[in-house]
Parts: sequence; structure tokens; C-alpha cells
Amino acid sequence: MNEELDSQLSAMFDNELPTAECELLARRLSRDEQLQARWGRYAIVGAVIRAERGVRLNAQVARRVSVVLRSEPALAGPAATGVTRVRNGMRWWQPLAGAAVAAGVAAVSILWLRTEAPSGTPSTVRLTPAVLQGGAQMHVRNGGAQSDSYVVPRPPTQPRPALVPSTELANYVVAHSMFSTPVARRNLLSAFMTSEPAASGTEEPQNNAQSTAQ
Amino acid sequence: MSADASDLSLVRRVQRGDKGAFDALVLKYQHKLVKLVMRYVRNPAEAEDIAQEAFIKAYRALPQFRGDSAFYTWLYRIAINTAKNAVVSRDRSPIEYDLDRNNSEESYDMQGRMKDSETPEGLVLTDEIRSTVNAAIDALPEDLRTAIVLRELEGLSYEEIAAAMDCPVGTVRSRIFRAREAIDRRLREVFEGGLGRAEELG
Repeated sequence: MNEELDSQLSAMFDNELPTAECELLARRLSRDEQLQARWGRYAIVGAVIRAERGVRLNAQVARRVSVVLRSEPALAGPAATGVTRVRNGMRWWQPLAGAAVAAGVAAVSILWLRTEAPSGTPSTVRLTPAVLQGGAQMHVRNGGAQSDSYVVPRPPTQPRPALVPSTELANYVVAHSMFSTPVARRNLLSAFMTSEPAASGTEEPQNNAQSTAQ
Repeated sequence: MSADASDLSLVRRVQRGDKGAFDALVLKYQHKLVKLVMRYVRNPAEAEDIAQEAFIKAYRALPQFRGDSAFYTWLYRIAINTAKNAVVSRDRSPIEYDLDRNNSEESYDMQGRMKDSETPEGLVLTDEIRSTVNAAIDALPEDLRTAIVLRELEGLSYEEIAAAMDCPVGTVRSRIFRAREAIDRRLREVFEGGLGRAEELG
């Protein structure tokens, strides 16, 4: 055994060897029994200098641990590095996953807007993976013959309360805007909107219009 | 160079499936760990059993060790917990050994180990190792002895020893190495020489 190697071993024992040299020597140490024996004697020297009373210097702990671990599976290399691998994998997937989620949200938003838009007929939309990921409800036509398309559900028969004023109301407001103040118009509009579900109607606006015109 | 570089290199090797690297870690720390455990249990044989258990637990938990702390600090915590648990469990079943002695094959092994470890031969061997090392240290030149003692007894880094001895770090490294070599030559005679008990020494 050469002196330089022994010197390195001594420094490594003290955690004073540069990392790169540690890597090489650790590899050799794990395989070379003579080197391990010397390493073990260094530990004994330390124990004697520290006067570790009660500790038996011929302790069999190392041998017993080694025997027990012989029947244990090796740490699948990789057990620890597996964590790193998973993390790296996550890093690779993160942009794609982010893009997919964003596309899904965008698709759902578009679908929602389209269902809100006044439309009497269902509209067929090409199905994209992003839409699928977004979790949009799907209706397959013709037993799957057009499985890559779906139908935007028809709006319910009963008109849903909407924040958008009806066309009649809009026309009314425009037509009478010349004769009313902005505050009055806004109040009128608010009144219509709050009474919209029940009214959807035209009676109140007409009445109000008359009073306003007067 | 990190303060824990060599331990970490060995740990990384174990994590990649190299059990031999774990043997090196056990060899390095077995005495320290037994000494630590002996704060909780007085019996050296029991302390060795607990230290062994702690090492095995550490091996199994090593995939989770990320190197945020020094390996020995991590091992130290495992050993303390193992020792505390052992004491609690022993206190709960004070006659465990007596029962096991009659019934269990496993306890027979343990009983045998305890017996073996307390043989007069074992005690003589420990004394012989201790006196050999002490004699070798006494025979060292002053500068070598000071360097190795500052390192092993005081736990100083090479840089701190260099400052204390007013010499370059490289000289400290060389002095510690030469001190160890001189002691090791004498120690090997005990291990490999006339006693014929080299295989008994962990």
C-alpha cells in the first residue's frame, strides 16, 4: 500500500480530504478489505485516545451489522437518487402540465361563454385534447361515429336570469336617452334589472317610460 | 471541501447500493455510538446490541438521508431514540431476559453473545489494545503526539490545529498521518501477531 494512499485515508477519516478525492477513495474503501481494516484500526486509536472507558475495543458491532445487512436488499441504488429522478421528471413535466391546465381552463371558459350567449341552436365544437383535459361534458353523436366532436348543451327552455338587459330594455333606454338624465337612466336600468326575472317583461318599462317622458 | 465530505461520499455509495461503504461507516463510528448509548445503559453488551440496532435502522432509513446535516449527527439522533426506546421497553418487561433464556432460540443467541463478550479473553484483549496504543502514543515525537491528540481528543480541524501549532495545514495532515501509522504498526502486531485473534477484532 503506498504512502500517498494511506495519507489520503487518514485525511478522509478526519473528513479533511477534498470531495473529489473522497469519491475515489470511498469507492476503493468499500471494496478493499485491507484498507477497511486499517480504517477500523484508526477508529480504535481514536477511541483509546479519547479514553472511552467501558467501550470494548474488540467490539463485534461492525461484524454483526455486516452479517445482518447481508440478508438485506441493497438500497436499490437508487432509492435516494430516485427522489432526485422524480424531481427531475417533475421539472420536465411542469411546463407541459401547466400549459395543459391553462388550455383546459381556457376551453372551459370559452364553452361557458358560448352557453351564456343567446343562441337557439346547439353548436358543434371540435374536440381537442385540451378540452378533454378541462373536463367539459361530452356528448357523443351517432354511437361514436363522430367521437371527436361534442355538442354544447342547449340552453334551458326557461330563460335564466341574466345580467344582460333584454333587447327591449336596451332599445327603450336608447330611445329615451335624449329625454332623461344619466342618473335617471341608471336608476331605471337598475330597476329593470332587479325586476327582470319576474318581468322579463315590458310592462314596467313602458309605464316608467311614460312617466319619464312626461 | 465540506466538513462531512468523506462521510457523505460513503453515504452516497450506500444509497447507490454499495453495502461495503456502510461497513466503513460502521467501523468508523461503532465505538462512538456504543459510548453514546452507554449513557443510557450500563451494560456494554446491551449498549452494543442497541448500537447495532441503531446502525441497522440507519441503513434502512438511509434513502431518506439528504445530507442536510452531518451523517454522524443524524446517526446520533437515531441511536439516542433507539436507546431510549430500549430502556423503556426493558423497564416494562424487567424479566424479559429470564423468560427468553428458557424459551427462545433468539434469546439464546443473545445470551451467548453476552457471555462471550464478557470472557476474560475479551477483557484481556481490550486491555492489550489499549496499552499498546497508549505506549505507541507515548513513544511518538512531540509534534506528532500533539497533532493526533488535538485531532482525536479535542476534535479540532486541521486548520485549527495548524493555527494552534503554527504550521501549514499540509504539515498537520502529514503529522497526523505519521502518528497514525506509527501507532498502527504496533497495533497490527497485536491483531496479526502472536495472539491469533485477528478475526475477533471488528
